[in-house]
Amino acid sequence: MPIKTAYSIKELPAAVAELKQQCADLKPRVVLCFASPKYDPALLSQELQRTFPDASIAGCSTAGEIVSGRMLTGSVAAMFLDGDVVENAACAVVRNLRGGTGVRAAFQELESHFGTPLAAMDIEKYVGVVLFDGMSGAEERLMEEIGDLTDLFFVGGSAGDDLQFQRTHVLAGGQAFTDAALLLLLKVPRGFDIIKTQSFVATDKVLVATEVDGRKVGRFNGQPAVKAYAKALGVAPEKVAEEFMVHPLGLMVDGQPFVRSPQHVEDGAMAFYCRIAEGAELHVLNGTNIIADTRAAVEAKKAELGHIAGIIDFHCILRTLQLRAEQRCGEYGALFGEIPAVGFSTYGEAYLGHINQTSTMLVFR
Amino acid sequence: MPGQIKRMIDTIITQRSNGNTTIALTTKTKLLLKGINPDKFTLASEDDPSVVAKLRVIATELGVHL
Repeated sequence: MPIKTAYSIKELPAAVAELKQQCADLKPRVVLCFASPKYDPALLSQELQRTFPDASIAGCSTAGEIVSGRMLTGSVAAMFLDGDVVENAACAVVRNLRGGTGVRAAFQELESHFGTPLAAMDIEKYVGVVLFDGMSGAEERLMEEIGDLTDLFFVGGSAGDDLQFQRTHVLAGGQAFTDAALLLLLKVPRGFDIIKTQSFVATDKVLVATEVDGRKVGRFNGQPAVKAYAKALGVAPEKVAEEFMVHPLGLMVDGQPFVRSPQHVEDGAMAFYCRIAEGAELHVLNGTNIIADTRAAVEAKKAELGHIAGIIDFHCILRTLQLRAEQRCGEYGALFGEIPAVGFSTYGEAYLGHINQTSTMLVFR
Repeated sequence: MPGQIKRMIDTIITQRSNGNTTIALTTKTKLLLKGINPDKFTLASEDDPSVVAKLRVIATELGVHL
């Protein structure tokens, strides 16, 4: 089996030793690792590098971990990919995210490793994983710059810290970083696919962002944002926060929403978990069934590809919170069946841009 | 002369995708995320100077010569 998953709830360094034990005789070219913030990130990164010296290692802290068949907390989850799946891999760190993105320098590092300009790479054989410091607030800027500079797909998520919203980390090369993002570029000769699934349908109610400041929308349709959102839903303005989880907004792309999740109300304005462009037309969304929708998405991809070698699942914390409230985490974990899967509950997902309330999955063929 | 915005959008998508349908779709999505909805404009659309200016910036960001 070219892809294996593992997890441990032990403390360090025993946790990494247990991962190694589950990796058994597979020689990983890449180790992906998603860890509860209970683990010291620098120590974890050092232990991973020491234990898997020949592998490219990328990881981050989480708001919950996912590993084949289970949703966990307080654990470290890993995926091991061998040379049959990943022919070549390199990881570059983008530092000082808040000050500027530095994507060009990171891309030059990756090009130097592969000996090929990114522009010459086959978009069906190369794919990137991007992991952000989830407290940086810089995801949109970085994703936009990545998208400007390359047509390669980069998918991923923002690191978490079990909803403490204090400090999140990304891990690479035996180190842990804040105010940083990791770009892990993989050459996958068998190819890959991407699933972006969200459990919402669009209504015909449209809000146009007419006054925007970063992730805060002051006005929709020329009215104070809260008032316009409340009117669209037919609820009292003081009750809108109760609707956020099941009625986020969607930027519609070919019938599919790029979800923008409201975070809180601020003096009549609405703060979101991602930036909304001024002038953007957003549809009010209605929530549907996460389990049924995700199952359908995974099954459809399985039917299309015939075989899935493994999945990395970047799963929004808001979905996790809903599943926890509904006591359906077990059902969600079971959706992947026999497919080796790893992932984590994110503070936002990455696919062409920074998005919310999705499961964004990198699927290995 | 109406239609300039539609032509600029088409040029950006065509040049960037170079015939690759996947890249054409992702470029369209990137435009949407940057605040321009390609489906909103036709050859009859008025040439709103602010949208034209925005598209010039986007073209530069995407490495496309208009």
